[in-house]
Amino acid sequence: MPWLVFSAGKQSAPEPLEKMTMQELFFYDANCCLGLPMNGGNYAPDAAALLQEMDYYGVGKALVRHLNLDPAGAVQTNADLAKMLRADHSGRLLGAWCILPSQCDEIPPPEQFFASFKENRIAAITLSPFAHRYVPCRLTLGKILDAAAERKVPVLLNAFAGRWAELYDFMAAFPNLTTIYQEAVGKWGSDRNIRPLLENYPGFYFETAGYWVPEGIRDLAEKYGAGRIVYGSGFPRYNHGNGMLQLRHSGLPQESVAQIAGGNLSALLERAQL
Amino acid sequence: MSIWTKQGSLAEKFWQHGNAGFPIYDMHGHMGSHNAIYFKRAEAAEMVAHLLRAGIRRLVFSHHHVLFSAAFRNQQVWEICRSFPDTLRMYVGINPHYPEIIKEDLAQFEQWRPYAVGLKILAGYHLINVTDQRYEYALQFANERRLPVLFHTWGGRGGYNDGPSMLTLAQKYPGITFFIGHSLFGDWEYTEKIIKETPDNCYLELTAIPGELGYIERMVELVGSTRIIYGTDMPWFDEFQGLGGVLSAKISDTDIKNILCDNVERLLGQDW
Repeated sequence: MPWLVFSAGKQSAPEPLEKMTMQELFFYDANCCLGLPMNGGNYAPDAAALLQEMDYYGVGKALVRHLNLDPAGAVQTNADLAKMLRADHSGRLLGAWCILPSQCDEIPPPEQFFASFKENRIAAITLSPFAHRYVPCRLTLGKILDAAAERKVPVLLNAFAGRWAELYDFMAAFPNLTTIYQEAVGKWGSDRNIRPLLENYPGFYFETAGYWVPEGIRDLAEKYGAGRIVYGSGFPRYNHGNGMLQLRHSGLPQESVAQIAGGNLSALLERAQL
Repeated sequence: MSIWTKQGSLAEKFWQHGNAGFPIYDMHGHMGSHNAIYFKRAEAAEMVAHLLRAGIRRLVFSHHHVLFSAAFRNQQVWEICRSFPDTLRMYVGINPHYPEIIKEDLAQFEQWRPYAVGLKILAGYHLINVTDQRYEYALQFANERRLPVLFHTWGGRGGYNDGPSMLTLAQKYPGITFFIGHSLFGDWEYTEKIIKETPDNCYLELTAIPGELGYIERMVELVGSTRIIYGTDMPWFDEFQGLGGVLSAKISDTDIKNILCDNVERLLGQDW
C-alpha cells in the first residue's frame, strides 16, 4: 500500500494477514428468513431464491425462520415453512419453528412436537411473545422449553432484539436453554447488555448480524471464547456479504473464524437430540 | 463462484488482502467515548491501528466530546490529528448553542489546516433546525471558502435535518460541498432531489447503510455512483463491515472504486 506513510513512533504497520481462502471457510447462516412478508419489502419468496442469494456470497447453509411469523402467526407459518423446505432438494436449509404457550394447544405437546422435527427439516425453535401477545415465562412456556433444554434444541431469540429487560427475565427463567441471541435491529453496539449474558449463561450464544462494533467480534471471542459466537446475515434486511468480510478480517486466527463462520452452529444443531 | 472468489474482482482482493491497492477515504468518523455505547477502540491510537488494517488512507472525523460537550474544544482535536498526521483529519464541530465558541474556533480554521478540512453539523442532536440563523455564521464561513460540511441527516419529515431542510440549505449555499451524512436514510424522494435539484454541490454519505440489502444498488441507480462517498461513523462501525457492505452491493467495480476512493480524490485531490 504505497500511500501509507508511517511516521516513526506514531503509527505502526498493520499485522500481516493470515491466508484464508473462501474454500477453507464454511459459512452457516444462523439468522435468515424465508417467505413473503405481509407488507412487502425485501424477501426471498422460496428456497430457490434464497439459495441463489446465498450462492452469490458463498454461504453454504442457513437456519431459516419464516419472515412473516409475527403477523401471520406460528400455526400458519410453521406449516408454510415446512412446505418451503420440502421444495429445497439441496439439503442446505434447515428451519426453526415457532412455539406458543402450551395451554392453548395450538402446537402439539412437546413429545409430539419435537418428534416431527426431523421429517420436516426443522432443527431449532423460535418464539415471538410480543407480537403473539403473551408473557414469555415459566407459566406459559415452561413445558415446551424444559423439553427443548432436555433435548438441547437451540432457541432463537430474535424476538428479544433490543428488549433487554425482557431478555434478562427470560434467561433467568430458563438458564439451561441453548439460546442464540439475534439482534439485527439496531446498529448501536450493545456490549453493555450482551456481555453480562455471555458471562452468566453458558448456553447463551451471540449471533453477529448488525453487530458492527470495530473488531468487536474479536473482542468478544477473546473474552468469552470463539465457541460462543455464530455468524448470521440478518437476511433479508441485510445482505449476506458484509458480515462475512467483517468476520474474515476480524483479526482472529483462522480456526476461530471457521468456528464462528459455521462450525459452532453446525455443532449446536448436531448435538440436538431430535 | 461467490463474489469473494471471482478472480480479479475488488471483492476477491479485499477478501485475500484486506485492500485492493487503492486508498480509501472514510469521510464520516468520530472519536472518544460515548454515553450509550461501549467502545473499546475510541481513542486515536486504537482507531488508527484499525484504520490501517483496512487500508483507510484518511478518516475525517468530528470528536464526540466536541459535539456533545461544549467544554471540549476543537483545538484539542487538532492536537490529536497532529499526532497521526498520515491518517487523521477533522471536521470542526459546530454547536449552535455556543455562538462565541463557533467564532473563536473558526478564527483558527486556517491555522488548523491541513488537518481541518471542513465543518460538522449535528442538528438532530443539538435540536436546532439546519436552516436556523444560529448556523449562519458557520455556513457563510464554509460557503466563502468552498469547504465541505458534513451534516447528520435522516429520513422522515419535520426533523432538524430532514430532506426539505437540507434541500433548502444546499440551494442557498452553492459554495459549500454538502456531505449528506447517512444519505437522508430511508427518504428516497429527497435522496434523489438533493442531488438532482442542487447545483452539483451535494454528495450522499454512506454511514449506517452498507450491508442494508439492496440499498446502495438503489442509490446508484437513482443518482449514480459518482455522487456517493464512504463513511462508517468509526468508532461506531467496523471498517471491514462497511467495506464488506459496499463490496457486497450488486454494483460494478468502477462504482465501488468511485465510492471508496475516486469521488473524494476528484473533490479534494490526493494531497490533503
